[in-house]
Amino acid sequence: MTTVDIHLQLLDRQVLDRNGLLVCKVDDIELHEGPDGVPFVTAILVGPRASGPRLGGRLGRWLTALAWRLAEPPGDAPPRIPFGRVTAVHSAVDVDRTRAELAVDPLEGWVERHVIGRLPGSGHAG
Amino acid sequence: MKRVFGVALGILTAIGGFVDIGDLVANSLVGARFGLALAWATVLGVIGICLFAEMSGRVAAVSGRATFDLVRERLGPRVGLANLAASLLVTLLTFSAEVGGIALALELASSVNYLLWVPVAGLALWLVIWRVKFSVLENVAGVLGLALVVFGVALWQLHPDWSQLVQQAVSPRNPPGEGLPTYFYYAIALFGAAMTPYEVFFFSSGGVEERWSAKDIVTSRMNVFVGFPLGGLLSLAIAACAAVVLMPRQITVDTLGQVGLPVAVALGKLGLAFAILGFVAATFGAALETGLSCGYSVAQYFGWQWGKYVRPRDAARFQLVVLVCLVVAAGTVLTTIDPITVTEYSLVFSAVALPLTYLPILVIANDPDYMGARVNGRVANLLGTVFLVIILVASLAAIPLMLATRAGQ
Repeated sequence: MTTVDIHLQLLDRQVLDRNGLLVCKVDDIELHEGPDGVPFVTAILVGPRASGPRLGGRLGRWLTALAWRLAEPPGDAPPRIPFGRVTAVHSAVDVDRTRAELAVDPLEGWVERHVIGRLPGSGHAG
Repeated sequence: MKRVFGVALGILTAIGGFVDIGDLVANSLVGARFGLALAWATVLGVIGICLFAEMSGRVAAVSGRATFDLVRERLGPRVGLANLAASLLVTLLTFSAEVGGIALALELASSVNYLLWVPVAGLALWLVIWRVKFSVLENVAGVLGLALVVFGVALWQLHPDWSQLVQQAVSPRNPPGEGLPTYFYYAIALFGAAMTPYEVFFFSSGGVEERWSAKDIVTSRMNVFVGFPLGGLLSLAIAACAAVVLMPRQITVDTLGQVGLPVAVALGKLGLAFAILGFVAATFGAALETGLSCGYSVAQYFGWQWGKYVRPRDAARFQLVVLVCLVVAAGTVLTTIDPITVTEYSLVFSAVALPLTYLPILVIANDPDYMGARVNGRVANLLGTVFLVIILVASLAAIPLMLATRAGQ
């Protein structure tokens, strides 16, 4: 069994989907207390509702409040990736689903559908 | 054979891509005012960029993570965000300077006012970023940038007093009539020109774009240790040309035309044509690099998909950031603010922002968690630490010197 330092090796690390595409950062983590009283990581939390409180200060509070208000539906919990999906933690965190299946980042999809996807040639790799 | 070709092409690209609008303006301006008495600052900057670009290339090859990807991990979300904001502002300022540089170079070639060239340059940049393959984009601009070798040819044709040039370079002192603060202000500008932060953002992200692995470390090192110093030599040739032609006539450099003047004197129209081609290629290439670097740094901080190795729609927010930055950069030039002035300020603020980029690289390059056996050796760490001190001094002194000398007036 390998030990993982949550602060040094998990938080703020890049998450990769099963095709190696970039998904998000580990913005925060969700902990649950086990029956023996020892906390364990249950999920990776994603988006400004998760990273805002870690940002701290006035900007962090403002961003967190705004993100909770804009959430769909308002006040919904931040998107999460259950930790069971994680297959490896190295210089990135690998998960065994695709970006589309994880669907943790609605804004990326919005920009794709309404802005970049509408420009001619957006479907051709350079 | 293919591998040898790849390495050679990488080196040529590194030489031609080394010089950007900042190097052109700073070296020519300083050469015309100080001769080669500040050559040491360029040499120091070239050693620094070699050292840290090698580290960032090695980190990218071993871990598959580019520089800004790791800045947030090591500095945390809060300090990382402050770093992102500062680095992005400096890169955006440099981007504006490069776009202005393209327009000025096209004005030299066509006698059409540079402001009319700005939208053309902006559209061309966007089309290339949108449609052209990364390796093509990188190599074509770099190889065309080699036209700047004409400055070396011009210097040789000018038959300068070589011993006097060497004398200026090896026993540096401020010339009569120039104060020490001005002297050191321009030393920092030259240092900032050689070490501009976007270069490592781009170099490390480019390594990821081209899917470098540990076996590509050799390629990366050849680019850095052969290509960059030869590019630095081009910078010195530009300064020496100005020292030979402009300094005795007391011509100060305020326009891109004056940068090319020594070439016209030495080689006539054909030489000048090469110089202008070199200006366009160097500024266009650097505009692509700075524009992409804006997108790279933002996307890497937030963990979004980035890069040109996927379809634009699969890296939607990255493409959007690049597009918005392009509009801002072109818009800045269209305010009719002098692009040469923008360039000078971009150099000083680059110098201020240097520690934000280079400290995290040094930390990560020592982290066995990412690097395994490929962590920095003793020499790299010793030199890295020495340079970090120099970078800190330059960063802290830049703004006070700018105010004290009224930006080198």
